[in-house]
Amino acid sequence: MDVIEHPPIFRLPGIPDHVTYTWLAMIILAGLAFVASRNVALVPRGVQNFMEVVLEQFQQMIDDVIGHEGRRYLPLIATLGLFILVANLLGLVPGMNGPTTNLNTNAACALVVFAAYHWIGVRKQGAVTYLQHFMGPVPLALKPLMFVIEIISHLARPLSLTLRLFGNMFGGHILLAIIFFLMGLQGLIGWALSGSGIGAVVGGIGGAVMIAFTVGFLYPLKILVSFLQAFIFVMLSMLYISGAIEEAEHHGGEHQPAHH
Amino acid sequence: MRRSLTLAALVVLGIPSLAFAADGSLIGPYSVLVAGFAMAFAAGLCALGQGRAVASAVDAMARQPGAAARIQTAMIIGLALIESLAIYVLVVAMILLFVQPIK
Repeated sequence: MDVIEHPPIFRLPGIPDHVTYTWLAMIILAGLAFVASRNVALVPRGVQNFMEVVLEQFQQMIDDVIGHEGRRYLPLIATLGLFILVANLLGLVPGMNGPTTNLNTNAACALVVFAAYHWIGVRKQGAVTYLQHFMGPVPLALKPLMFVIEIISHLARPLSLTLRLFGNMFGGHILLAIIFFLMGLQGLIGWALSGSGIGAVVGGIGGAVMIAFTVGFLYPLKILVSFLQAFIFVMLSMLYISGAIEEAEHHGGEHQPAHH
Repeated sequence: MRRSLTLAALVVLGIPSLAFAADGSLIGPYSVLVAGFAMAFAAGLCALGQGRAVASAVDAMARQPGAAARIQTAMIIGLALIESLAIYVLVVAMILLFVQPIK
């Protein structure tokens, strides 16, 4: 297992690696924000222009999913998205560790989303109305059952957010490590360097193919997955927030007899 | 055909007990097998489900090119939700391989 758990180059003593690299991601993002907002110009140039384009994309997504009133949640959602994206991409830099390959970082992000959307729902509708919605549009006798089921389904949301991000990132890293280090460097290149004649031919060609496959196909795939997972995390967070906001409308129809 | 497949499965399942019977515990070797097979089943079935979802989404996009952006967003969310089931199996497999709670 030593090959799979290749340690990062830079480590702080006594501090877990994922915390160190979470701080690095924070420093990168804070530095980017500082540089972008240092000389705010009406006609943006350089870093400010880039950051404005990025944030406009987030705003566009929020407008599409939550609606116009969702713009006040832009700081929460854009921060989560940018942090997860930078953390995912940090894991792809050789010699560094991705904070999102650790379960704790993902659980922290997912719990923030969980607390935030319940808080937003309670603030928008009041605690009693918000809790009533958990019972759903069913007859009175079924309401306790629905309540329990809804609680479980809400508790499954942060779990699935956490595990999805963790599984995608960690699984991808294991794939990279196995194909590049275990099969490529140690297996086939090691065979080529071991001195045997057939190993030099087969191992050399095979190792070159493995490394070319990793760099040419797996790395771009991992970059795509990093963007996609950050997008999915943010999109699901927005869906949960919009669900917590929009529940007021469903609640109005709840007292009518359920004929469908 | 079916008989030979059954025989092959029995042989595969029997290999760990032949190879590691001296150590006593069989749970370690079998958990490696189970992790691999679980991931294989999960990946295959997940690919079936995702293929159906993508097929109908592309069909809908071809019929309604104007709604392509919205359909694509819904498709990606749906794919994420389908994929998370396979990811659960991946997490279970990784727990079996690395954490090894049962020995």
